[in-house]
Amino acid sequence: MTEPLDALFWLSSTVAVFSAWRVFRADSMVRAAYWLMGSFVGVAGILVLVGAEFLGLVLILMMAGEMTIMAVFMVMFMMNPAGLNPMNMVHQHRTSLLAGVLSFVGLGAIALLASFPQAPPPDPAAATSDLGHELLGGSMLVFQTAGVALLSTMIGSIALAAQRGRYGSAAEGSEEPGAPIDEEDA
Amino acid sequence: MTLPALLVVSAALFGIGVYGALSQQSFVMIMMGLELMINGAILAAGAFWAFSSGGEPKGQMLVVVFMTVMAVEAAIGFALVINIYRVRKADITEKLKKLKT
Amino acid sequence: MTTPLPLWLAPAVVASVLAPAVYLTWVLDRWVGARVAGRRTSLGQTLASPLAEAAQLMLQSSPRAERPDRVTWLLAPASLSGLAVVAVATVPLGPMLHIADAPGGIVLFGAAIALVMVAVFLHGWSANSLFPLMGGYRFIALALSFEMPLALVLIAAALPAESLRFSDIVQSQVDVWNVVRQPLGLPLYLIATLGASFWGPLAFPDAPDLAGGTTAESSGAALLVWTAARYALLVALCAVGAAVFLGGWLGPGLPGPIWLAFKTAGLVATVVVIGHHVARVRLEDFVVVAWTVLIPLALVDVFLSGLLVL
Repeated sequence: MTEPLDALFWLSSTVAVFSAWRVFRADSMVRAAYWLMGSFVGVAGILVLVGAEFLGLVLILMMAGEMTIMAVFMVMFMMNPAGLNPMNMVHQHRTSLLAGVLSFVGLGAIALLASFPQAPPPDPAAATSDLGHELLGGSMLVFQTAGVALLSTMIGSIALAAQRGRYGSAAEGSEEPGAPIDEEDA
Repeated sequence: MTLPALLVVSAALFGIGVYGALSQQSFVMIMMGLELMINGAILAAGAFWAFSSGGEPKGQMLVVVFMTVMAVEAAIGFALVINIYRVRKADITEKLKKLKT
Repeated sequence: MTTPLPLWLAPAVVASVLAPAVYLTWVLDRWVGARVAGRRTSLGQTLASPLAEAAQLMLQSSPRAERPDRVTWLLAPASLSGLAVVAVATVPLGPMLHIADAPGGIVLFGAAIALVMVAVFLHGWSANSLFPLMGGYRFIALALSFEMPLALVLIAAALPAESLRFSDIVQSQVDVWNVVRQPLGLPLYLIATLGASFWGPLAFPDAPDLAGGTTAESSGAALLVWTAARYALLVALCAVGAAVFLGGWLGPGLPGPIWLAFKTAGLVATVVVIGHHVARVRLEDFVVVAWTVLIPLALVDVFLSGLLVL
């Protein structure tokens, strides 16, 4: 690999990992969502660098929309949307820190110690058309299954989220009678 | 830019995602942790496709499947968050301790 | 296959293409606006109006919103102009002259337009003020509606070329332009253009009824960059439209870049005139129409183009 490519790779990885870390350190949910998008943009950059140009760009395309929707949800649900106060809402902090570090060390050890098969790098010019032929050729069943899964997801999430169901208001039917909300328990 | 370097970056993303998914209280933040884990998986799949498979298109196919998983996770997650909020007025996990009354 | 420009020359080429285009679009917008309002302005006044506005903005004192997210607030206009530059750079200027003719050019353009949504929302959110935030929300509703038709008509245009590369798409229109071959494409693309540059009938986020929307708290140089970026975005969208539907550099006699400039100017003029003559629609109505009419029409466009290719 040539020098500029390496530099771009380290830049993208730094962006990806740094933004990923900032996601859980941001004061506002909107910032957290866009830090997460930054992490995806970093990964998309690496994908483009290794020759999967189409996948990288599609990742950015998807994430821009998804993270914006996420930001709107955050502003809707969170008590501190503007990020004016420090926000730290964690539980079992030490355990999860340990779990995170352990999974990083474990996966990193595999990455560094295991020996993987080596193959010549793919031809970037052919990567996209290869993917297209694969999508509508050998892996057509997988592709179509993904499409059906997405369709059922749409139907399912509309059914879950709709205010007005077939049998009246969604809240009426699903709330258990006499189930008070335990506020001080939180 | 070598295979181990890419995998270490992907492991770092996955580790941060594990930490976030386990430590955060807010549902939406937990989903962010899950997405970071999938992000690491996407990077690992892309790395193996580029350095170990010699351009086998099924490797790219795997990335497409991961993206689908991410979209499904986000959509169902948001729908569940809306539903739980409507029914229980809960936006963090601690308010959902009781599965029954 | 065309040869790329040397890397160091690309920024200079983009700047020298984009700067006059932004200036002329701005002049055209002010001129049409004055004509519609019935004001008589001299040629010199019209030509100087963008410069006068820019000078006025540069002399303004800097904004003072209450506790804005300063970094994001400054970043939003900058990233909007950056995205416009990326979108312009994808367009091949001539058969032998292109800036960034990526193999996945259409996807690159789509990603840039998707990130416009992020830039506009952050511009509205970061001011920490009511009207800008409402403008940001409006743009999300608008963007989620126009992005599907936009992506679908671009995919339809890529079908006859069998390539996602813009120069291949232009080359595939040697015999007949896409505007003839895919009659649904250009109208849908123009509607999406109005949405993506939030212009005229779809000018929701920065609208006067929100006291300027996402720009309500902006002033000075940041507002100048934002305004210029909006014109640049419009130019970028029209240039892509000219390349994808009107045959780009193809044309008899004149050199390619001139033809592309003419076609882009035609589209820009169309959008600007529409912007001053068509009243704004209601956002709710547009969202309903986009999802129930425009997306099915775009799908019909894709299927018909696919049939033609077969």
